[in-house]
Parts: sequence; structure tokens; C-alpha cells
Amino acid sequence: MSRDTTYRPEASRASRPLLWIATLLAIVTMAPVAWLVGLSIKDNRELMLGTESVFRVPYTLINYINILYSSQAFGWFFNSMVVAIGQTLGVLVLSSLAGYAFARLEFPFRRTIFVIVLFGLAVPEQAVIIARHQMFNWFGLHNTHIGLILPGLSSAFGVFLMTQFFKAIPRDIDEAALLDNASQLRIFWKIMLPLTLPAQATLGIFTFLHAWNDYWWPLISATRKEMFTITIGIASSQQNFAQSEGLGFLSAQAVFASLPVLIVYMIFQRHIVTAVSGGAVK
Amino acid sequence: MSASIEITNVSKNYGTLTVLDDISLSIKPGEFVVFLGPSGCGKSTLLRMIAGLEDVTAGTISVGDQRVDTLPPGKRGVAMVFQSYALYPHMTVAQNMSFGLENIKVSKEEIQRRVHLAAETLEIAHLLDRKPQKLSGGQRQRVAIGRAIVKEPKAFLFDEPLSNLDAALRGRTRLELAQLHARLRSTMVFVTHDQVEAMTLADRIVVMHNRKIEQIGTPITIYRRPATRFVAGFVGSPAMNFIPVQNISQNGNGVAIDASGLGILNAELHLPTAFSPEGAALGIRAEDISVLPAGQSGIPLIVEVVERLGDRTLIYGRLSDGTKLTAEADGRAQVNAGDRLEIALDISAIHLFGADGVAHHAVGG
Repeated sequence: MSRDTTYRPEASRASRPLLWIATLLAIVTMAPVAWLVGLSIKDNRELMLGTESVFRVPYTLINYINILYSSQAFGWFFNSMVVAIGQTLGVLVLSSLAGYAFARLEFPFRRTIFVIVLFGLAVPEQAVIIARHQMFNWFGLHNTHIGLILPGLSSAFGVFLMTQFFKAIPRDIDEAALLDNASQLRIFWKIMLPLTLPAQATLGIFTFLHAWNDYWWPLISATRKEMFTITIGIASSQQNFAQSEGLGFLSAQAVFASLPVLIVYMIFQRHIVTAVSGGAVK
Repeated sequence: MSASIEITNVSKNYGTLTVLDDISLSIKPGEFVVFLGPSGCGKSTLLRMIAGLEDVTAGTISVGDQRVDTLPPGKRGVAMVFQSYALYPHMTVAQNMSFGLENIKVSKEEIQRRVHLAAETLEIAHLLDRKPQKLSGGQRQRVAIGRAIVKEPKAFLFDEPLSNLDAALRGRTRLELAQLHARLRSTMVFVTHDQVEAMTLADRIVVMHNRKIEQIGTPITIYRRPATRFVAGFVGSPAMNFIPVQNISQNGNGVAIDASGLGILNAELHLPTAFSPEGAALGIRAEDISVLPAGQSGIPLIVEVVERLGDRTLIYGRLSDGTKLTAEADGRAQVNAGDRLEIALDISAIHLFGADGVAHHAVGG
């Protein structure tokens, strides 16, 4: 059996306090999540008597079963899926095309337009919300999937990220493709786009997570209950706690709503780490 | 299939900056031509203009009978091997080689035939399913050449393709390129700043300097009869010795040259009547200077540094007036720093450069 010779530095005495602090922070962060999961597997009647029952058996999956039969959570879940996937695909397509154009094509006012796009990074959503609301009202886009997806497509961050990524690809590559008699579209599709897959993965993950967790715009645009996304749906249930089906059921809904995010994290964990570390981790 | 390349009065400007100025050059079908020059002389730009990767500001470029300077790169019938190889990282070797053929709708059977033939020729058949990052530098180089070969171009363009290889591999690849040219008999244009590559590969060398062509000639002509002081100094290692000239006078059929530290040398050399010794220099290569055996008298040289290269010894020293001079001796020569040597010059190998840099060669050199 081969010996693992990987060098793993032991925590030095000096770094031990940091380790303790990090552990404490992790507990503080994870405790509410554990609490939520605990509540979701407790009977609502037991929880009515006191939430400390979360530490005692018995546990049950009845709240999850109830989601199947007596909740609108599936509809909200579906809406969130449509919005998150729609926004992710849209952002990937638009940001890739725009990034390629800004990085590689020559056209009038290219730099000026790029600066204007970047300016979008500096404008908070709240500053344009009234104008956007009014505009969507004119076009009758409120309470529609399109209306929920559209605002998220103008991703200044996505355009910036893809532009920088395309710029980092050596020019020799597209020149070789030009000499290989490839058209501009074929170079983009067959050569450049596949080379940006790491950036696409990063952008896709962030866009999906942002769209899934978005609360602000769906709260304004989706006023009909059947058009709620999962975040708005759960929030509306919690606001109406007195008439709700109970704390355990609400918690189960919240856990249910978090599942896609967890799955995305688990599948693309490596890309997320790379994205967050700015490419320092290979 | 190989074609001629005709470059006629070509210039290239970037705004007000001129990088190539009125270049004209004829390359014969099947010829191996090397553009040689220091960084920034415009050699790569000229190659890229032939490829179509740079626009031509003025002049025309033809490949075969067809004027190509208005055509896109893929329509010019040329293939290029880049310094960085520029392989498509996400494609296998086979896909890299076939991509260009797919774009011009060559049949799958023909693509497969050409890819396998090129792979056999370049001994990379076992690498066809690998991606570039799994290849060594030398293997990537071969794939880049293979990608060019499968297109069966009218001319191959090489942009410093050996500069990323280590010394041993560079030497081997150089030899293989020469063999490939002998086998394909294709027109090849090769850009380098490495004079060894130029001397060993080229049928003709085009020496470029300061946006212009300094000299076009066979390697031996460029080496033995450089047209200008720049060419003389740039080609050859160690560089040619340049010794300032004090005076020149007619002496029968030749001239008597009074050069710093060398005394008066009588050489058979034809100079124009208007030739002025002011700013002139005498040029001689290190191998045309011999160290005289002990006891014989010649031109004294005080040795400062000795470089032993095995097969030969380079001797860096100073003449009696302090002028620097490099001489070459046998690899077994017993010479040490501080020695006082007596040297002799091969008069038939000297060159005289006027202040304008134009060379005049000794008869028989």
C-alpha cells in the first residue's frame, strides 16, 4: 500500500485560537439550520407545547408528507425553478455573447458602451425599482414568469466576468481558427465558448443561487399567490403564522425550498470554491 | 502543391507609426525562406500580413497567381504554425488537425486519411486521442505542424515555432523541419531571431532591420558577404569584429587601410572613389584571425577572457591601442587571460564598412 506523502501542516500553537474562533462561527452559522431541520421533523402539536421538544424523540416526516397534499409549496417551487433556470440560461447566453463582442470584436463606441454596462454594477436595484415596476405594469408583465425573469437578465457582473475571461484567451487561438477558415460564429461556438466553460459554470451557479434566493423583485411583481416564488410563498406563510399549519410544517417548507440550492452546491462545489477564491484554487 | 509568394511595395502603418516600409520580395515555389532580424524589426508583422492576420497599408501580396492581400486568412491557401502552437485546448489532437478541413467541407474519409498520413509522417499517430495539455512541448509542436500539413497549403508560415523548446529539442526539431521541407518541397516562410535556425534551414535568408529588408541572400552569402554593417554584426557568433579606420589610401590594385591597433593592412578591395575613411570600420570575423605559434611576430593581442567551447576557443582581448578584438583558436589551444599573443588576419576575409554602413568586401573573401 502506498504511503500518503502529501504535506499537511499541523495547526501551530499560534493558529489554534483562530481555529477555535472559526469553529465557533461555524456553530453560530449552522445552529439555525440544524434548528430548522429539527423543527421540520417534529409533530406540530408537540411544538405548540414548547420548541424545546425538538431535542426529544419521537421524530416524524408527517410535515414533509403534508407538503405533498396540503400546500402550495410545489407551485411556488415550480415558479422558482422556471425563474431560476430561465434567468440562468438567459444570463449565460447574453453575457457570453456580450463578453465575446467586448473582448474580441471591433465596433464603434465599444469602450464607451462597456463602461456604461459596468456602470450597471454601481446602480442599486432599489434605485430603479419604481420605474421598472411602472414599465412592467405598462407591458402587463407583472404576475408572469417572463416578468420575474426579465430584470435578472441584464447582468452587468456577467458581462464583465465573461469579457475578462474571453480577453484572457490568447489571440493566437482565434487567429489559428481564422486560418482554419472558420467563420466568426463558428469560432465563437466551437472554439471560444467551450474554453469559457469554467467561467460559465461560475456565472451559472451564482445566477441560479441569486435567482432562487431573490426576494425583492418577486415580492413586488408577483402579487397573485399562484405566481409566488418559493421565497415569497414561505414568507407569506410565516407572516400568517396564526392561521398556518404549524411551525413544523413551515420549517419543512423552508427545508424543501433549500433543497435545490443544496443540490447545486453539492454538484458544483468545486466550481464555487474556485469562483470564490478568484481562480487561486485549480 | 507549392506556390510562389510575391510581396510588392508592402508597407504597414499603425496610425503614424510605420512598422514596415516599402518591402518587396519574391519567394520561389518550394523555397525555404527565413525572415531574420532582431525583435521589433517587423519580421513577424510581415509574416502575419502574408497570413492575413494583419491588414496591408500599401502594396500587394500574391500567393501563386492569386492576389491575396484582400482575402480573409482562411481563403489564402496558407497554413501557419504559431510560436505558442495555438492548439485548441478542448479538442483532441485529431480534432485539432481536422478542424480546418471540416470548415471547408472535406469529406470525413478524406479528413481521416489526411490526419492519419500527417500523424504517421510526424510520428504522432499514438497521440491522436490526447488533448494538448497531455502533450510535451515537442509533441505540441508536431501537432501544430500536423494541423498545417493536413490542409495541404500552398505555403507554410512559421512564426518562431522553435523558441519555446529547450535547446536539445530545438536542434532535433530543426533537423526534422529540414527533412520535412525536403520531403514536401513546399514553400516555407520561417520567422526567427535565431541565426542558427536561419543558417541551417534557409535556402535564402531575408535579414530585416528597422522596418526594411537589409539583405536577401543564401546563408553563406549573408555570412561571408554581408551587405551592411548591421548584417555583418547580427549574423555570426561571436559577432564580427569592427575596428575603426583612421585612413585609407590607394595602393596599386588595392588599398592600404590604417586601422586602430592593427597597423596598415594592404588588401585587394575595390572602393568607390567617393569613399571616405571618416566613420569607416574594418570588419573581420573571429575565425579569420589566427593565433601565431610562439616565436612568430604579428599583431599583438593582450588576452582578457578565454571561452573554451570544446571544439574551439574564443579569445577576447585588446589590441595595443585598447581596441577590443575577438579571435578564435583550436579547442586545445593553451591560452589564458593575461597572455600576450601574436595574431594574424586573413586579409582576403576583411570587409570595409563606410559611415553609411554599406559593406565592401576584399577580393576572394
